[in-house]
Amino acid sequence: MRNKRALAALASVALTGLLVSGCGNSDDSSGSGPVSLTVWTGFTGGDAPGYDEIVSDFNAAHPDIKVTMTKMSWDTIQQKLPSAWVTGQGPDIAAPSSDPNAIAQYVKTNSVLEITNTGTGDDKVNTDQLAAELVKEFTYNGKLYAVPANYATLSLYYNKKLVSKPPTTVAELQDQAAKLTTGGNYGLVLADNNTIQMWPILQWLSGGDIVDANNCSVVSTPAGIASLQPWVDLVKNKKISPVGLSGAEADSLFSAGKAAMEINGPWAAPSYQKAGVDFGLAAVPAGADGKPVTLGSTAPLAISAKTKHPQQAQEFLAYWTSKTAQLKFSKTTGFPPLRTDLGDDADLKADPTVSIFASQVSNARLYLPQVPNATKVDTDAYVPLIQTATRDGDVAGAAATAAKKINELTGCTQ
Amino acid sequence: MLTKSLKWIYVGIGLLLAIVPLIWMVAGSFRTEADLYGHTASLLPHEWTLHGYRGVWQQLPFLRLLFNSVLFAGVTTALTVLFDSMCAYALARLRFRGRTVAFWLVLVTLMVPFQVTLIPVFMELFHFDWLNTYQGLILPRATSAFGIFLFRQFFMSIPKELDEAARIDGAGHLRIYWRVILPLAKPAIATVALLNFTNLWNDLIWPLVVSTDNTMQTLPAGLALFAGQHVTDHAVLFAGAIISLLPIAVVFFLAQRYFVAGISTSGLK
Amino acid sequence: MTTLLRKAPAVLGGRGRAAGYLFMAPSLLILGVFVLFPIGRSLWYSLHNWTVGAAEQPWTGLDNYTKLFGDAQFRRALANTLIITVASTAVLVVIGLGLALALQSENVVSRVIRSAFFFPTVISLTTVGMVWRFLLDPDIGLVGGVTRALGLDPVNWLQSTALALPTVIFVNVWKNAGFVMIVLVAGLKAIPGEYYEAASLDGAGRLQTLRSITLPALRPTMLFVTFMVTVQSLQLFDLVYVMTGGGPLDHTETLVTKLYRDGFVNYETGYAAATSWVLFIVVVLVSALQLRIFRYNDAD
Repeated sequence: MRNKRALAALASVALTGLLVSGCGNSDDSSGSGPVSLTVWTGFTGGDAPGYDEIVSDFNAAHPDIKVTMTKMSWDTIQQKLPSAWVTGQGPDIAAPSSDPNAIAQYVKTNSVLEITNTGTGDDKVNTDQLAAELVKEFTYNGKLYAVPANYATLSLYYNKKLVSKPPTTVAELQDQAAKLTTGGNYGLVLADNNTIQMWPILQWLSGGDIVDANNCSVVSTPAGIASLQPWVDLVKNKKISPVGLSGAEADSLFSAGKAAMEINGPWAAPSYQKAGVDFGLAAVPAGADGKPVTLGSTAPLAISAKTKHPQQAQEFLAYWTSKTAQLKFSKTTGFPPLRTDLGDDADLKADPTVSIFASQVSNARLYLPQVPNATKVDTDAYVPLIQTATRDGDVAGAAATAAKKINELTGCTQ
Repeated sequence: MLTKSLKWIYVGIGLLLAIVPLIWMVAGSFRTEADLYGHTASLLPHEWTLHGYRGVWQQLPFLRLLFNSVLFAGVTTALTVLFDSMCAYALARLRFRGRTVAFWLVLVTLMVPFQVTLIPVFMELFHFDWLNTYQGLILPRATSAFGIFLFRQFFMSIPKELDEAARIDGAGHLRIYWRVILPLAKPAIATVALLNFTNLWNDLIWPLVVSTDNTMQTLPAGLALFAGQHVTDHAVLFAGAIISLLPIAVVFFLAQRYFVAGISTSGLK
Repeated sequence: MTTLLRKAPAVLGGRGRAAGYLFMAPSLLILGVFVLFPIGRSLWYSLHNWTVGAAEQPWTGLDNYTKLFGDAQFRRALANTLIITVASTAVLVVIGLGLALALQSENVVSRVIRSAFFFPTVISLTTVGMVWRFLLDPDIGLVGGVTRALGLDPVNWLQSTALALPTVIFVNVWKNAGFVMIVLVAGLKAIPGEYYEAASLDGAGRLQTLRSITLPALRPTMLFVTFMVTVQSLQLFDLVYVMTGGGPLDHTETLVTKLYRDGFVNYETGYAAATSWVLFIVVVLVSALQLRIFRYNDAD
């Protein structure tokens, strides 16, 4: 008997000891002092200081609110955020992912707060000063659920040691990519997975596309196949890029001076500078039809539906997208400004980096905007299409498979 | 003679394969990007740099992460050894109804991949209000089916005359377990402790999912997040990996003697 | 495992019952609440179109399971998982046994070499994956560098649809060979010396001794290591996730990377749960199969 009791005591001490010692959820909002807001983002690239500035400037201007931003990999956010927000844990504000149509999932689970604090004036989100397509991308059933945290365009980075004059037409780009592939160097590194999208730009340049206005696949149309074929041939036969590169691997090749050219966003510039590559920046060459085109990329900034401070959180988003904050952000990071009323700012036009990226805003297109299951269209259809074609060269076959998959995912009925 | 030289050729090739990647990793943490790309055929650095380690050291709250890791892996391992050996004592030394069922249940849990239960466990911890707490981090991992097996095997190899003698002296179960069985089980304790400590130390997803709070982050998780921000700088990636490996390496070299003894004597025969 | 499953000898009579429950309570409570109940929960999810946090979780019966078998990615993941498991286990047992036989003696040299082989066991799978990913990269890795130095073209191991899976298996073997070796060394030591003496008196050769004495005596140990290695291989995730992410073109996709993709990238919790139940059943079946293969006349 004695033993039994002793055992029970042992077991329960072991268990309860932990319960008591563990610290509960701390939430200092109940006390006096400033309201705390937490923000999760995946902005870990060279553009990180720009976002830090927005946060510290906001905190300085708002003594009653204290914003803390935590940066982690997009992967980690993807693992943690959905269940965290559903259960009312996690941050007040987050940039969930820079994938196309990333907010849709959170809208579906009622995890994000509708942004109502819109209009004119510095304390509101000035939606009419933001690019219309971005506002559209984050609007579901007529309600706005996020603001853009940034809006980047992609430009052509070239290694000045290898490239004397950057290409201005798609024909020149293809020609140089092939010629510069020599002596262990790659002409144009192309990432096809875990990356900012590069292949769609090539397709657009050569007159192709992925889906049409009804979200139906156009990759396997004659124009679609013709737009991929020359690029696939360059990769497969001329080896202008290794196959199957991730974004990080492509960047690392360019950093090491092993790649002559790469299409990338403004976030890459600081790390290339740090790596000591002597690089130049040029607009993406004009397409086959003579018109310029590039990719526009944005990450949404959304508020948890369960935040205790919806007011202050919206105030923060208003500040983030304000004229003052965006002007400073562009200067720090080289990103084009989010706002149309900064388009003519003399300072920004004089900045060599900002001007290159900003000059392409009017030519930029989003990847799979508001396409149903956009993430899966990318990972399950588009990435396999590029990976298959660049390995076996059969563009038509791979495109037919991809087209079927895309139509299944988007719900297109033809 | 021939078989002997064949044997050493076999061991030699194996040893080369086992060690070269590790040397290359350690060397890589001291190499510049230019060196790494420029001298791919070289095992050792041509020019040395410390910027990988410097970056990790300057940008991470090192002591905090180390403290969390030691707390998480250490406390959990201690509890695991206690709970597993208790459970194994019952399974190996006592007879009661339900023992076989209990044993099979333990066996089944060994076959469940961790990712399968991740979401349901997260929801449970949420309902218990245990997210972002140390008990949420530690308790769900505080027992291991493999440990229970190992202890059970080991206990079964201990002569039962020892218990009987103790019982004649009037000792109860708790006393027999604590005073007779456990002192004899040191090699098994070392084995279970080393394997569990290693697993917990290396675990990335669990601490990331249970704690949304950065002050509770563990060293490998913190290093992984940090490395995720420097994906194009190999020296930083290698340095981070080596730093999180070091404590484990120390534990390994201290405990390996007992570990081998534990495996050989735990009745896996 | 046969010995593992052997009934424990009864030491005590009726008095053991309450104490037995109490001694088992902490472990069983934890396993019950944090493993068994959740796996039951996931069975429940798998019968729904379940999404974390959705307002409605519609019941779909066995739809997720029928959908699985029409899903080419799933079939590939299942095939890859089985290939990885069978190949890794077979190679590991052969290599591990060779190392154990070569290094079983208790001298300093053997002990040091054994430690070197065992060390990869304590390195995290993510680190192992990262190192090998870079090591095999044709542009920065030592392997590519040496290939080039020999005047050959470097091979893109992890990006080749033909070579990626064998490469993953190789790295899995690299990581676990030391563990298999150590356990088998322990098993070899436990074989009574008289067996060998008797065999040499009978004039048995080296190979014959191995076949008629060593291998049969090693059987329970073999069962134990193959069980550990197969369960680990069937659940392979981190290594693949870091080295290839399941690619190229799903050629290294495993059941766990698949359920991770469905559950944590596409947020189809119900569908991922169905995959996890298939995996669970596969693990149970494979384990049962092993028990049969290794069944032998246990003394008790």
